[in-house]
Amino acid sequence: MPPSFNAVKVGDAPPPLVYGPLTRTQFVRYAGASHDFNPNHHDEVYAKANGNKAVFGMGMLAGGFCARLLTDWLGDGALTRLRMRFASRFWPGDVLTCTARVTGVGEGARAGLIECEFSAVNQDGEVIIRGDATASLAP
Amino acid sequence: MDASAAGKTFPPYEFHVERGKIREFADAIGDSNPIYHDPAYAAGTPLGGIIAPPTLLRTFLYEPGVAADALKVADWSYIVHGEQEFEYLAPVKAGDVLTAQERIVSITEKDSRRAGKLQIAVIETTFHDQCGEKVQVARRTLVETSKRIEA
Repeated sequence: MPPSFNAVKVGDAPPPLVYGPLTRTQFVRYAGASHDFNPNHHDEVYAKANGNKAVFGMGMLAGGFCARLLTDWLGDGALTRLRMRFASRFWPGDVLTCTARVTGVGEGARAGLIECEFSAVNQDGEVIIRGDATASLAP
Repeated sequence: MDASAAGKTFPPYEFHVERGKIREFADAIGDSNPIYHDPAYAAGTPLGGIIAPPTLLRTFLYEPGVAADALKVADWSYIVHGEQEFEYLAPVKAGDVLTAQERIVSITEKDSRRAGKLQIAVIETTFHDQCGEKVQVARRTLVETSKRIEA
């Protein structure tokens, strides 16, 4: 069950969601599903010629992982806004851990709305993506 | 990037939000939520049917990619997707026929110690459904570096 607006507090957090070790096959699958055919994400020869140690994952793939953390936690259709910043690249073999927490509970005209922050970090604790979201919760 | 593209609005285009695409996309992000997979389950929820995952509509912006073409990027390997934002005004459902319209909001310049001179483009896309209701707004920030970021 999603949290109710009346019970939710700043600092509340869902259990972390862990993805990985990630594979090239997952990147290729996301390329097909998302139409992101930037060769840096599926063509190792091209990626290396462009100075990368391997193909790397799409920011929106990590963004999809974080969005799933939020919808599993807050409920389907609860998000009213979602923003993500792509901080660093991630690679085959990486393990990404997605976390989130409540940073604000709306008052007055914003009653019913909560603010959250989220991030995905790799196995070394390096931030891959961070962002913030607004969600509408039932009382 | 061609800084003169800032402020340009592009012709709207239509696309279908198909159930199979929603399933394929949810599988690609490892999301087994039945609201994306199971029509009978989804019909019994307050949303009344299969819906689009929060980041799905970004996938409809590669083709035709009119705003991206207008940036006249010389080499896309110098382009970084810096930021992505969505505003959700109404649920997008399987079967919806959406109309997307892109606008280049701004193109600005900035100096970066790590990546040299940067050009930063913000592209906004509004999505209306088949009833004319605005359902979602997406904003993406593309950054062109003057040198490649090595890893």
